Amino acid sequence: MNLYAHLSELPAAEATAFRALVTRLRAQPQHEPSPLLTSRIMAAVAAERAHPTPNVQPETRNQKPETRNPKLWYWAAAGLAACLLAVLTLFDRPAASTAADPTTAWLAANQEADGSWQPARHGGDSAYRPALTALAALALARDPADRFSTNVQRACDALTALQTPDGTFGGTGRVRAYNHALATYALATLAPQDGPAAVALERAVAYSRANQSVEGGWDYEPGSEGNAAVTSWQVQALAAAATKGISQANIPLRKGLIWLRGAARDDGGVAYHRGSPGRSEGLAALTAHTLMTSGQAFEGLPAIGRRLTVNLTAEDSTADCYRDCAKVMAFESAGDTARAETVRDGMQLRRQAGSQDPWEPIGGTLYTCAFTALAHK
Amino acid sequence: MDSAPLEQLDDADLMLRVRSQDDEAAFALLVSRHQKSLLNFFIRSGVQYDSEDLVQQTFLRLYRYRQRYVASAKFTTFLFLLARQVWIDELRRRQRRQRLAESLAAEPYEEFAAPAAPSAGVEGDLDLARALATLSEGLRQVIELAVYQDLPYAEVAEILKIPVGTVKSRMFNALAKLREMLGEKRGDTP
Repeated sequence: MNLYAHLSELPAAEATAFRALVTRLRAQPQHEPSPLLTSRIMAAVAAERAHPTPNVQPETRNQKPETRNPKLWYWAAAGLAACLLAVLTLFDRPAASTAADPTTAWLAANQEADGSWQPARHGGDSAYRPALTALAALALARDPADRFSTNVQRACDALTALQTPDGTFGGTGRVRAYNHALATYALATLAPQDGPAAVALERAVAYSRANQSVEGGWDYEPGSEGNAAVTSWQVQALAAAATKGISQANIPLRKGLIWLRGAARDDGGVAYHRGSPGRSEGLAALTAHTLMTSGQAFEGLPAIGRRLTVNLTAEDSTADCYRDCAKVMAFESAGDTARAETVRDGMQLRRQAGSQDPWEPIGGTLYTCAFTALAHK
Repeated sequence: MDSAPLEQLDDADLMLRVRSQDDEAAFALLVSRHQKSLLNFFIRSGVQYDSEDLVQQTFLRLYRYRQRYVASAKFTTFLFLLARQVWIDELRRRQRRQRLAESLAAEPYEEFAAPAAPSAGVEGDLDLARALATLSEGLRQVIELAVYQDLPYAEVAEILKIPVGTVKSRMFNALAKLREMLGEKRGDTP
């Protein structure tokens, strides 16, 4: 039976009225898929083909379970060994024997006695000590075996100690902006919910709120409506703080997300400042990741973030750990594990080739190690 | 079957090629044929911004579950079973998201989930769309599958996991409610 057979069973007047209604329903305008939808779907399927989601294939009664190809295991083991060797060679630092990831182990081994990381010791600018401490702590916290919880706790204590009376973490202009955003993000993500670190986080959020532009962004100096880089980090920090129950983070978070949504252009580009015709792959990736994660509670924002990832390239010819880490996070957030893996492969190859990262003179080895560890699978 | 051009194959044959040969071109053709109907399915379900993502999730699920497709099953039944599951997952996700959103203070700022600009060209279409949106999920899904997707009642019953008799009663109730909401019983509409 179908609809019209059903309607024909009804009294004539009712059937006629219902048929007219069905005709009106079917005459309603249809939405057209965007031109990119097919390619997005096929890209997602290609990623699934390359990296199948486990346990989705049906259990069949008449078939033997598929056995793993031993050659794949051999190549996977060989690849893992090569990666470990490469990372050890790249950074030329001793690795803790208990650590699975040598980069993370190197970070742990180079934590200062006060719990911070000092970029000046590793070729960077000492002014970024809070920012690099935050990045290193965030990287250590990703260890799946949670082997560095003590290091992370010490880092939170160090950030708390580095906070100045105004709620920031030192520096002026660009330095202050990154120190504040990253240190706040680390405290919001890693610090316990009570004690001095929690108080420091409240003060940091208060500063963020007080120094947000009318439009909802943050920049290096007051008076600017904001830039995509600092605003993305601030939004991630506030989202983490809001999740911890810090209610004063809610308002600036919503405003910041609105600002970021406005920074995402229809052509998939994101410029440093809204309205600028420029385009930055790193900023597009960072904004995409932020909208997909910090904006997940808001309808439409994750979709905008995913759209931003469509035009991102996974293959770059120049070294830039910041950009690459943002791309890995964006692709992972979008579920595009294949392109995330391509970015990781590129990072490794460029480091092996000795490519100079443009930000290494500022952040030193700490910076490259922290972003490499954050991008680690 | 294999010698015919892909474009001439029906959905079931294309799906069998995807199942047995992991045929990318066959899958792309299925995407091309059904993305619009799925998109409108999700839009009419009330998804304003993420409808294309749900279409993508449905096709991704179709690919993941390709081995579950059997030749005796009608392709649209299989596809809309998956779409319905994606929609149920989305509703659950929205409930979680709503709880999180409620924990954020209400703000006088721009709303994220502001109603989408109506696409209907005339007021009559708007009224109809609004009336449709006010139907309960159970009634609206019967309209969606039997009216918009033009599926036989047996398929609708299979997708919604209800008896055919229930499909009939829901369809009657849905159309009657729509008529009532549109004022047709009062003779306002010719």
